[in-house]
Amino acid sequence: MTRLLTLLVAALLALPVAAEAQKPIKVGMPIPLSGPAALFGEPASKGAQMYVDELNAKGGVLGRKIELTIRDSKADANEAVRVARELILKENVDFLVGTLTSAEGPAVSVVAKENKIVFIAPIPKTDQLTAADKLHPYVFRVAANTTMEGRSAAEIVAKWPVTKIATIAFDYAYGQDVTKAFVEHIKKIKPSVEIVDQQWPKLGEQDYNPFINAMMAKKPEAVVSSIWGGFFVTFSKQAKALGMFDAVKYNFIGLGEAGSPETTKSMGADYPVGIWGNSYDAFYWDESSPAHRDYTARISKYLKDEYPSSWAIQGYIGMQFLAEAIKKANAADSEKVSKALLGLTVDTPAGKLTIREKDHQANRGQLYGKTVKEAKYPFAIMKPVTYVDPTKFMD
Amino acid sequence: MPDLSFVFAQSLSGLTAAMFLFLIASGLSLIFGVLRVLNFAHGTFYMLGAYAAYQIVLWLGTGPASFWIAALGAALAVALLGGLVERFLFQRLYGKEELYQLLFTYALVLILGDVAKLIWGTQQKSLSRPPGLSGAVSLLGATIPYYNLFIILLGPAIALGFWFALQRTRAGRLIRAAALDRETLGALGVNVNALYTGVFVLASFLGGLGGALITPMRAIVPGMDTDVIVEAFVVVVIGGLGSFWGTFLGALIYGQVLSFGILFFPRFSIFSIFALMAAVLIIRPWGLLGRPLR
Amino acid sequence: MSVRRIPWVALVFVAALFVPTLGSRYYTFLANDVLIWALFATSLNLLVGYTGLVSFGHAAYFGIGAYTTGILMKKAGVSFLLAFPAGGLLAALFALVFGFFCVRLTRIYFAMLTLAFAQIVWAVCFKWNEVTGGEQGMPEIPYPDFGWVDRLAAFVPVLGGYRTAEQFYFVTLILVAACLLILRRIVGSPFGRMLATIRENPERAEFIGVNVRRYELAAFVLAGAFAGLAGGLFGIFNRGVFPDFAYWTKSSEVLIMTLLGGMGSFWGPAVGAAALIWLNQQIVSYTEYWPLVLGTILVVLLFVFPGGIAGAVTLLLRRSRPGVARA
Repeated sequence: MTRLLTLLVAALLALPVAAEAQKPIKVGMPIPLSGPAALFGEPASKGAQMYVDELNAKGGVLGRKIELTIRDSKADANEAVRVARELILKENVDFLVGTLTSAEGPAVSVVAKENKIVFIAPIPKTDQLTAADKLHPYVFRVAANTTMEGRSAAEIVAKWPVTKIATIAFDYAYGQDVTKAFVEHIKKIKPSVEIVDQQWPKLGEQDYNPFINAMMAKKPEAVVSSIWGGFFVTFSKQAKALGMFDAVKYNFIGLGEAGSPETTKSMGADYPVGIWGNSYDAFYWDESSPAHRDYTARISKYLKDEYPSSWAIQGYIGMQFLAEAIKKANAADSEKVSKALLGLTVDTPAGKLTIREKDHQANRGQLYGKTVKEAKYPFAIMKPVTYVDPTKFMD
Repeated sequence: MPDLSFVFAQSLSGLTAAMFLFLIASGLSLIFGVLRVLNFAHGTFYMLGAYAAYQIVLWLGTGPASFWIAALGAALAVALLGGLVERFLFQRLYGKEELYQLLFTYALVLILGDVAKLIWGTQQKSLSRPPGLSGAVSLLGATIPYYNLFIILLGPAIALGFWFALQRTRAGRLIRAAALDRETLGALGVNVNALYTGVFVLASFLGGLGGALITPMRAIVPGMDTDVIVEAFVVVVIGGLGSFWGTFLGALIYGQVLSFGILFFPRFSIFSIFALMAAVLIIRPWGLLGRPLR
Repeated sequence: MSVRRIPWVALVFVAALFVPTLGSRYYTFLANDVLIWALFATSLNLLVGYTGLVSFGHAAYFGIGAYTTGILMKKAGVSFLLAFPAGGLLAALFALVFGFFCVRLTRIYFAMLTLAFAQIVWAVCFKWNEVTGGEQGMPEIPYPDFGWVDRLAAFVPVLGGYRTAEQFYFVTLILVAACLLILRRIVGSPFGRMLATIRENPERAEFIGVNVRRYELAAFVLAGAFAGLAGGLFGIFNRGVFPDFAYWTKSSEVLIMTLLGGMGSFWGPAVGAAALIWLNQQIVSYTEYWPLVLGTILVVLLFVFPGGIAGAVTLLLRRSRPGVARA
């Protein structure tokens, strides 16, 4: 009788502990789900969700499941801040993974700092996020930044038989920074290069004809663009009609993920095959690791898409880093996790990535390649596609 | 020094942009002229026209005529939607304050925008130029795509067709009369409500057609409705709210300002629309060809 | 005991004082948000409801106030005591300049010019990287210095033990209450009554010798000033100032709040602000299609309850009063 009683008491005492262990780890994800940036934000949120679903199926991390709450930040810094604070104050999230634009990232970073909550940014590229005066213990980035992107592009363009280069970029932080990084680096590694023209359409421009005409009047031999998403589709349709790609003999590189499968797929036959582009991921990346091929199979099934989005991987990697850090810290506590993230190396589908201690930036490079028409697919792909390791570009 | 071929190319870009805007803004101008309301949802009809055209091409496949059928079909579908909205919803607000009518059109923007997102999602869509017009011609050293030429010619064609219809046909005369004095028109026994519905349908048709025809030149993305409505406003304001040729002129001017503006003020294109609108409203609010409306 | 006799406003104020102690951090956050928007919406109603001028660009002054206070506090280290009224002052100045051109127009032209000016303000904030931080805005606006509160708390214990966010909430509550009281006095004054006369029939007002434009401009400036004050508070509350404070979507949000609450009543917009904010955060937890819901609510309002919540409540009260002839 006493044995039974003891067991009962022990079970009752264990119950709150067990209940505590059963409580899910809550992660908040403010990311654009509407507007032009939804093209990236929605798949990224799905990639994150897939990782969480798979992890929970295996029992979660530290015996606890992860609960992901995704909210629309509308690609608006103001909204992102509001959403982030609601997630913290109302939903009581333990961590934040998200944001997309270069304005959202630093804005939410401040919220994370004041609330002492770990914030992993999977997409914003602005250097400002991890700049020395803005860095704090709780912000981390697993995306490439504009310095890495601009310099990687410079290395590629330097190998082309061209000296007269024109740039076209949106007139805001991302466009300005990536162009600056490109120009500075290429002048360093190939001093004979001359930047003959720079065009700055406003963010969200719909009519690029005047800019393209003005650029072509200066007769560049190559063009470096960072026009992204649906705007790249608009831009290149207009550019192709005006014969711009022919005029520069397809010595064109489209930063801002113009080589991504989404873009080539949506444009179909209109895509200016022969240009260079970059992308965070490509389902057709043949020389990738078995881990990547496995990931591609899973994301393809999850998204119910034969040619899955290239943006899902960023959400996936963001969550992966968080989960691994929780495991390493053996606690779902922001203080411990923030220390665990420093120098953490994770085997992601895109290869081994490490968050360096200096600026909380992961060495996340991107895939670069020249687009070709491949019979196997109804759209162009980058081939050969190379992963450019950005480690040497990071100061 | 800019050479001739560059100036020529730039002014033709301006013309193409102008004619697209005219196509879209003419519907806006028509509704304002007759119904005296600024229809915010006009940009949404434009967007729906684009999505509808995309959808129809998806169903028909890529044949030589599928683009044109899709464009017409999309315009008709949007016209039908416009008619239904006007007849069953908008008509009930006619007696009420202008603010309510304006806010209703804004509510439409919210609702229809999300409906489009529900149906077509957030990924960008794109349509190619129709097979007959996919090439380009070289004029004075500048490359002019055939499709751009088609739009440049279509604009004035529609303007003339319109003008003819307004001046010579009975329906046209009724529309012009309604724009001047709707009460008297009603007193004369004309079914003003049916006229209003007709005007709304026509304007929606033009908006939807504009959206469908622009798809070979632009991506179809969420947010394209709000982008175009502001430009359409500016064009109508410059020309004069309610003036038909004013809209045409406003579009021409705006197109050239956009084209050459980036040469003189390279990084200020973000200001151009609103600076222009403010300037016109301060200096000459009734626009170039409008009637002083107090 | 008639419903009207109950001092609702005083009750709400007292209840608001207890939100941080009785409610969670989230409710303090929400209440703070509602207070600021209530001021913003009431300032707009001075133009829309009381003077009959529909502005599509009221967010411009909100943004100017936010940037002024934010820049002064963050970059120049100016104290909140000076930076806050400075925000209102600069907003009033811009309202004077912009308003001068706007009041020369009527109806849709007036609305379009207010929109154009607001978008120009937005564009300047977006592009002027050096001063406004460009499109990334200015994240991390410092809270006002609350050191004196902690020192005072040694003598007055009830003041102690609050987090900075809560201390700022009290500051907001007191300042917003003061501003709303001032606005209430303005609309009740002869000046306010003149505005109502102008709203009813501008030509008649002109006929009896009223300088309509001057009154309209005065209303415009006052509305802009209070919007600027609201903006200054919001920049600090939001932990950052961003260009879209001045974007047209903000103007449309505050206009909808004013309509939802009821343009015909003084407290209507404040109620509308509370209602819309509460509704928004309820809906977004279930669906990302908030615009669809908002649009539908707007349609229902326009067709069924054009007087907004305040109008519906007034109607209800009138019907429930015994002995009153049914209209």
